[in-house]
Amino acid sequence: MASVYLKQLITGVAISSLIFATISCKVLATNEEFFGKTTPPARNLLRYVNGPEPESLDPAVSSGQSEAHIYMALYEGLVEYHPKSLNAIPAIAERWDINNDSSEFVFHLRRNARWSNGEPIDAHDFVYSIRRALLPEVASRTAALAYYIKYAQAFNEKSVFVRDAGSNQFLLDSDFASRSASLSEPISQKSLKANEREYQPTTAQPEPHPDTAFHQLMHSPGRLVLPADEKKRNKLLAGNAKLGTAVAGKEFVKVTGEDIGVEAVDNYTVRISLSQPAPYFVDLMAHQLFRLVPRKTIEKYGAAWTAPANIVTCGAFKVKWWKPNNELVVERDPMYWDVANVQLEEIRFYTSSDHPTSMNLYRVGEADALLNHSVPNPWLDVIRPKKDYMDAAEAVITYILMNTTQPPMNDLRVRRAFNMAIDKVTYSKAKRTTTPLSAFTPQGIFVGYPQPKGEPFDPDQARRLLGAAGFPVTQNADGSFACESFPAAGLTLIYPTHSSNRALSEFMQAQWKQNLGITISLSNMESKTYYAARNNLEYKGFALGIWGADYMDPTSFLNIFLTPGDSGSGWWDQKYVDLLEEANHTLDRQKRYELLAKAEKYMLDAQPIIPIETPSVNWVKKPYVKGMYPNPASLYPWKFVYIERDSSKWDYKTPSLAD
Amino acid sequence: MLRFILRRLLITIPTILVVITITWALVRLAPGNFYTGEKKLPAAIEQNIREKYGLDKPWREQYLRMMSHIMVLDFGTSLSYPGQPVNAIIGRALPVSATIGLLAYLLALAVGIVAGSVAALKQNSKWDYASMTLAMLGISIPNFVLGPILVLVFSLMLYWLPPSRWEGFPSWNVVLPVITLSGIYMAYIARLTRAGMLEVLNSDYIRTARAKGLSESQVVIRHALRGGLLPVVSYTGPALAFLLTGTVVVERIFALPGLGHYFLQAASNRDEPLIIGIVAFVAIILLLMNLLVDITYAYLDPRIRY
Repeated sequence: MASVYLKQLITGVAISSLIFATISCKVLATNEEFFGKTTPPARNLLRYVNGPEPESLDPAVSSGQSEAHIYMALYEGLVEYHPKSLNAIPAIAERWDINNDSSEFVFHLRRNARWSNGEPIDAHDFVYSIRRALLPEVASRTAALAYYIKYAQAFNEKSVFVRDAGSNQFLLDSDFASRSASLSEPISQKSLKANEREYQPTTAQPEPHPDTAFHQLMHSPGRLVLPADEKKRNKLLAGNAKLGTAVAGKEFVKVTGEDIGVEAVDNYTVRISLSQPAPYFVDLMAHQLFRLVPRKTIEKYGAAWTAPANIVTCGAFKVKWWKPNNELVVERDPMYWDVANVQLEEIRFYTSSDHPTSMNLYRVGEADALLNHSVPNPWLDVIRPKKDYMDAAEAVITYILMNTTQPPMNDLRVRRAFNMAIDKVTYSKAKRTTTPLSAFTPQGIFVGYPQPKGEPFDPDQARRLLGAAGFPVTQNADGSFACESFPAAGLTLIYPTHSSNRALSEFMQAQWKQNLGITISLSNMESKTYYAARNNLEYKGFALGIWGADYMDPTSFLNIFLTPGDSGSGWWDQKYVDLLEEANHTLDRQKRYELLAKAEKYMLDAQPIIPIETPSVNWVKKPYVKGMYPNPASLYPWKFVYIERDSSKWDYKTPSLAD
Repeated sequence: MLRFILRRLLITIPTILVVITITWALVRLAPGNFYTGEKKLPAAIEQNIREKYGLDKPWREQYLRMMSHIMVLDFGTSLSYPGQPVNAIIGRALPVSATIGLLAYLLALAVGIVAGSVAALKQNSKWDYASMTLAMLGISIPNFVLGPILVLVFSLMLYWLPPSRWEGFPSWNVVLPVITLSGIYMAYIARLTRAGMLEVLNSDYIRTARAKGLSESQVVIRHALRGGLLPVVSYTGPALAFLLTGTVVVERIFALPGLGHYFLQAASNRDEPLIIGIVAFVAIILLLMNLLVDITYAYLDPRIRY
């Protein structure tokens, strides 16, 4: 009997060692410098794992990053993102003029831009696209990004103007204004005196732009805007006697798309008037919301216009085929105005939400680049030293919100204590792909921005603060701390389901336990449940927050606290809003940054949040993929991307973002 | 028999309606909406979205409108994939799931029945031990472990097979997901076959068949297998329904655009029409498969009459 088993054992060992030897040979044969195969594809194509399935091919619909990648291939706007800095570069607009206080912009279009069906693109297409993006029936989730445009918010919110039927005059906002009088009106709202120059003359534009009746209208004082909904309007009017009397007997006129501050001055000139100065508005115009959509196709096919058989696009690439939930393949569009400079023939956007699955495709050489954050944390030891690992700061912050409307977190001292009890430097070292953060804007993203510093890690001070708030911390015989009186039982830290969020939350829990002697329970929530609880302040204690920039300006973060009830913390302060407003009325860039920093410091001092980290982009791309940079928003203008077959010109480290 | 089938088919309709209503209520009770996200939407934008999708109407009206559409088999348009009808999504995803599922089913049946029969016929031999050990392993290793191990060995180390993605059928891409998916079913079927066969092989009618002088292969194939497979049939009916309609885990590991993947996405996206469409569809398939099992029973066991 024993000999039979021995025989089987020997056979088993022999077979397994044979298999093992084969496997090891294959593993040793792979390139150690990089993760997996580095053979460029035979054709000039890029296979990019783009994360989840895109919602839609309509650029006005979705706010997601995966969709943004696709929209950037299919659609172009007035401007495009710079591949490294993300600042606006010319696209369909070949140049633009900015008025003296950044409240009005004139874009000059190139004459040779065409749709994928060969039809020419002109200024009216842009007027249509922006009006459509704001149309209430389109129900765009990102429409608020266009609210800077005059009357855009009123149009999107279905509001009404108030007109006196007799005199045909509209009631003016300034007569009932709530905005602080100290701020000067933007130039775009002031009436133009005949001899005053709104724009500085340049060599490209020595003459003033043609004036039009619409332009004059835009430059007249802002009209009063009221909600169209009768209930809401009556409530508002009842609360303001002056307004109520003035409105009585007047007629209400619906705000339409024709009222908003977008104008085709001629076939190749677009003028955009804002209701406030916004120096970053040109950069924002590269956002998908402002990209060009085909009027004729949309009017012909309605909701089905994005079907591959119907779709007409204007970007460097056009739809070749779409297999939903599998791949979207786009090919170089011969109609594109700059097609001579587009090197990729084809981009394949693969759908995969599973990070290890994406990494496997990358390793075997079936994918050339992956979505940011694709490298799972446990893989970092292997991947990070490789030369195709992309490591650069991202315009994203991770932070913890505190529900400031309920005790004990309504006490500033308690909130400060919980912030100071967390050693963010140690956390970042442990996580390896982040830099510690003490402010509310990401670390090292906005060049020249005097980012304020929040309070440092100081457990002694944290314990003193808790004591001062009425929750004395005592030290046990074994050196650990305890805080018996603190009502920790009712408090939780909620976070959306994700393994990295779990690790983060457990670290925070351990820090509070170690430094304050307080145990906060953790609650892992399904993401929609979590968002609902957080946004409606239906949590007690703490909630994890992650925020990525919509555009490259500190206000993309600071505006989270602009509207009461939006931040998920319950904190809102008129003084903070005033500071932001003042900053946005400041023309000098550096002075504006200083004012924004002052606002940020003011908010940090109130401590509705605990800043944690600025993540790294954390993805991989093959060394032969060139022109694709790990920029802070992980957005890649595809026309600059190419496949390099000469291995001496490959990227042998994270490409630099400096010019 | 025909009356039985008709009666069963008629019962299916109210069952499906109850399933749809419960699903609808559960989606409504879950916190958050399809548009809930990291950033809280301005009230006016939320209002625009609610009006666009008719969510501002009273819930009775919404329910009745949905039901009246479903009565003509129109499950509406997906909320998280605007412009895509639910019927079209199911129609596209089903062939993927069904291909993988059917192949896995056939593989599981072929391997499971052969291994189980051999084990039963050669009870307590090394064949029996070997196949039952493998079956035990198959039951114990969940597919989310088996899948990555197969990928690791056959894709990442040996570079023999693609690690994921759907390239249509036939292609090498189906091999790993089919094996992963069939593993546990194969093991169950082997064990069920062995148990069923052992019981039947000791029964009187087999002794009669042998006494009649039938050859061993005739005894096994015509008599023993027929009786021995009854437990397998009752297991594989619902199993086939689940295999055909997609599995969340395998489709995710291998990035397959099947129904299971959509089902998971729809639930986490709160995509009400899509969830209801998929649930109703899976329920219909499941009920049909159960009916098919009952019919097969009647065929395999002459004693069963409806």
